[in-house]
Amino acid sequence: MKNMTESEIVEMAKKDKSYFGVLYNKYFEQIFRFSFQRLGGMEDVAGDVTQQTFIKAMANLSRYEDRGLPFSSWLYRIAQNEVSMYFRKQKKNYTVPVDENRIQDLASEANLSSYMSMDDQSHLVEILNELDEEHMDLIELRFFQELSFKEIAAIYSITEANAKMRTYRILERLGKKWKNSK
Amino acid sequence: MRKFIINRDKKATKPTDEQIKRQKDFSRLHHEYERLTKRGKRPLYKDPKLFMLLFIIALVLFLIFMES
Repeated sequence: MKNMTESEIVEMAKKDKSYFGVLYNKYFEQIFRFSFQRLGGMEDVAGDVTQQTFIKAMANLSRYEDRGLPFSSWLYRIAQNEVSMYFRKQKKNYTVPVDENRIQDLASEANLSSYMSMDDQSHLVEILNELDEEHMDLIELRFFQELSFKEIAAIYSITEANAKMRTYRILERLGKKWKNSK
Repeated sequence: MRKFIINRDKKATKPTDEQIKRQKDFSRLHHEYERLTKRGKRPLYKDPKLFMLLFIIALVLFLIFMES
C-alpha cells in the first residue's frame, strides 16, 4: 500500500470500500481543519460536516475522475458544499473569528493600507459582512483559510486564472466601499 | 447567517490534536455509510405517497376503460 500512488488507491477504493480508509486517514485532518475554521470553531458541527463529506465522497467515488488534481481538491469541494448547506439551513446568525493578521493581509492585498488601527480593522470587517455569501466564501477561502488559487479553482471547478480574477474583483469592490465609507 | 468578527481574545481558530482525534473514526463512518446505502427498501404498501399515486393512476385507467 505504501508504494501505491493516490490514483491507484482511489481505483482500489472504487472496487472495495474498505480501501477508502487509506484516503480517510490521509485527508481527515485537512478536511476537519477546513470545516472547523469555516464554522468558527464549532467542533461537533465541523465533525458532522466532515463525516458527511467523506460519506458523500465514498458514495460517489465511482463518479470521481482523476484530472491530475490531488484527491483533496474533490474533498474540499464536497466539504465546501456541505458547509454552504449548513449556512443556508441556519436561521440564526453565528460568528466566524478571524485573526487580526489575516485582516491586515487582506487590507494590504486590497491596497487599503499597510497598517490598520483596531478601528480600521473593525470597519473593514463591517464592510466584509455586507458582502454576498458567495463573495464572503471566496475571501474566506483565500485570506482566512489561506488556500492557494489552485485549491480554490479546484473547489469551484474553474481555472486558476478565473479564481484569481474573481478574488481581485471582490477586492476592488471592497476597496471602493472602503474609500466611499471613509 | 455568517458574520466575521476579529479574534481579539485569541480564541483558537484551529482545532487541537485532541479534537481531531475525538472526531476521527473510520469505523463509525463506514458503519454510517453501510446504514445509509444498504438499508432495506420500504415495501410499496408502506409508502403512502407512492401508493396513492399508483392508486390514482389505476383509478384513471379504470375510469377510461369503463367509459370506452
